[in-house]
Amino acid sequence: MSLLIGVPAAMTLAAAAPDRWWSPGEGRTFPAILDYDNASGTVRTLVSGGAVQTAGHPFFEPLGSTGRACVTCHQPADGMSLSAASARARWDTAGAKDPLFAAIDGSNCPTLPQAERASHSLLLDYGLIRIQRPWPPRDAAGRPITPDFRIEVVRDPYGCNSGPEYGPQARHPNISVYRRPRPVSNLKYLLAVGFAYDPKQGMALPLDPVTHRPLSGNLLADNRASTLEAQAQDAAATHLGMSRPLDANTLARIVDFESRLFTAQVRDNRAGALDADGAYGGPLNLERSEPGQLGSIGRAVWSEYAAWETSAGADVTPEQRAFRESVARGARIFRDRTFLISDSAGINSPIGFGNPVRNSCVFCHNMSQMGNDVAPGQVDLGTTNEPFADPLPHLPLFRVTCTGEPHPHYGKVIYTHDPGFALTTGRCADVGKITLQSMRGLAARAPYFSNGSARDLRAVVDFYDRRYHIGYSEQEKQDLVNLMSVL
Amino acid sequence: MSRSYVRVGVLLAALATSSTAVHSAELRFIACPVYRDTDAGRKSGCWLADEGTSGRRFDVSLAPTKPDWNHEILVEGTVAAVQDGACGGVVLNPIRVSVLPGSCTRHMLPAEGFPGRTFVLPARNVRPLAEPRVVPPPPYTNRTFYLFYDFDRSFLVYQLDDYLLDQAVTYLRAAQPKKVVVTGYAATEAAEVSGRRIAERPQIARIRAESIAESLRRLGIPAERIEVRWRADAQPIDVPDADGVREASRRRVEIEARVTD
Repeated sequence: MSLLIGVPAAMTLAAAAPDRWWSPGEGRTFPAILDYDNASGTVRTLVSGGAVQTAGHPFFEPLGSTGRACVTCHQPADGMSLSAASARARWDTAGAKDPLFAAIDGSNCPTLPQAERASHSLLLDYGLIRIQRPWPPRDAAGRPITPDFRIEVVRDPYGCNSGPEYGPQARHPNISVYRRPRPVSNLKYLLAVGFAYDPKQGMALPLDPVTHRPLSGNLLADNRASTLEAQAQDAAATHLGMSRPLDANTLARIVDFESRLFTAQVRDNRAGALDADGAYGGPLNLERSEPGQLGSIGRAVWSEYAAWETSAGADVTPEQRAFRESVARGARIFRDRTFLISDSAGINSPIGFGNPVRNSCVFCHNMSQMGNDVAPGQVDLGTTNEPFADPLPHLPLFRVTCTGEPHPHYGKVIYTHDPGFALTTGRCADVGKITLQSMRGLAARAPYFSNGSARDLRAVVDFYDRRYHIGYSEQEKQDLVNLMSVL
Repeated sequence: MSRSYVRVGVLLAALATSSTAVHSAELRFIACPVYRDTDAGRKSGCWLADEGTSGRRFDVSLAPTKPDWNHEILVEGTVAAVQDGACGGVVLNPIRVSVLPGSCTRHMLPAEGFPGRTFVLPARNVRPLAEPRVVPPPPYTNRTFYLFYDFDRSFLVYQLDDYLLDQAVTYLRAAQPKKVVVTGYAATEAAEVSGRRIAERPQIARIRAESIAESLRRLGIPAERIEVRWRADAQPIDVPDADGVREASRRRVEIEARVTD
């Protein structure tokens, strides 16, 4: 009996997987269904409307001085993100000359000797790209914002936050932080607006200056760009090294392609097909579903696997059944296992849920089928702020001093590896807030958290367990890991 | 039901009976909150606060804004007619809680047999955009909507102000008034509470008004029709959405739809 009952039909829809790494300007065809294997199973990206010829397509062509294309950091084998493993494989294949390792942000700092592996250690070991933000922050129109905090550099392992060109004391002051590329897929969910109000800001949602429609606030880690167009322009000017803005036609083609991508694990090595025996995992359902639904009043988050709670299939092996049941339990734990959430700005302040508040993972990961926040998702979990962050000696450390009101949970002084949303707003209360992201295709794109501090899914669960004193059992941890591995 | 729950429940009943004199009086005090970790599902923990003068412990869990265990709170409310004994304190309802800047040592009690309350979605909850609003039918007349704030804050109170603002915007969209006057108020008159004199900053009136005006613009109300005003020395008002919490009613924004001049 095959472990992969139901899989062959699904698998035959996909063409044979092309080479894992998509280099800029290759001119390959991006098929309508594109599968890549990973350690857990297979991740699938499907393109609404069919295959795309990449020759001449701006998502795939090098547009600027770095020689990169969008696809360089948004690889289909990595769930349209970039895994540290893929970066290492690329280093082993092509070395420092590959555009991925461009000095501007594919190295720890452009001032370092670029031929050496150590100069690219953050990308190779943690999947991190350097993000240089202006200091003080600027608003969407480029006007400086007066921040209500000072920032000083405590630790600068690579010299990119000190000296004449880099850091808050530079000629053109800036702050360098290091972040994981976010997946460019399932974007209708990240752009969906469920409610007219942002409960974390106590205001109606801001509007897109072009379309005058409310903004979801769920695209980038620090919410510095709120539309796909703004994100593409930001990326073109920085990661691609373009000296001019993208023109309207190029921008439209990039946004159109990105908007047609849907990505999810489609098969698991232990569970088999993820849309079998009553389950409906995989990207096809994502393409067909309405985004922006709150799980608590509609389709429960990760109920895709609810059928496996009671019947994990008739013709399955004991191991397959056990794994499917574990996934279904993981979904239940994700929704129902409550714990005390405390001292997390964006949850415990300024919104009046209370500090602490008892809730579960879906309190924040509340959007059906995607696990991001229906509201703008800027939350401080403590992944970048001391004392909650794990020791991260390879990252810079900043001391933030609030000059106005103290931070509601940290007080006047905060030590942080990445001020996050505060580098966009200039507000001390936003230090360390990072936007929640899609939970799809996780198995394809380790490591996790915006700073790559969780090397695998177990490390994600362990971080939450430590941070909030949850007390998960070993079985609960494994169930959560198994759930996340099939999303 | 545990023995301790029965015992405390009886005590609470006695307290409630003996305090009939304060049933209609609004209590106002500052305290460090105590969190009781009852677990009746999500958002089910209890919040308690001890009133210094009487030494009585109150259950402030029903406030729209919950406390922060690191900070003092201002409690404003009346003793509830129904005492359910869910948390281990005299239940205040209606009630408002404001988180103040002053620091507190965090303190958490175990459930100690108290059941807490299963979370129930408040009646005033704003609905998803996908759900059509019930549009008020014409004729449209001049009408004023009220939003109420925590002490010295301009933040829309979740599942209270967002709902009230949504109601106002639904009316404004339907009525298309010639002018929308947004007036922010601040309770600047000093009051003695728990041995301290407290008053809102005068500038919070303007901040509240401008914040609501910006929200109205974002929600599609034409900017040229919005007029922003602010006032200090706010006086209490008695309107349904103030829930009879007199002092909290001073801290407000009024949205006045002027259909006719």
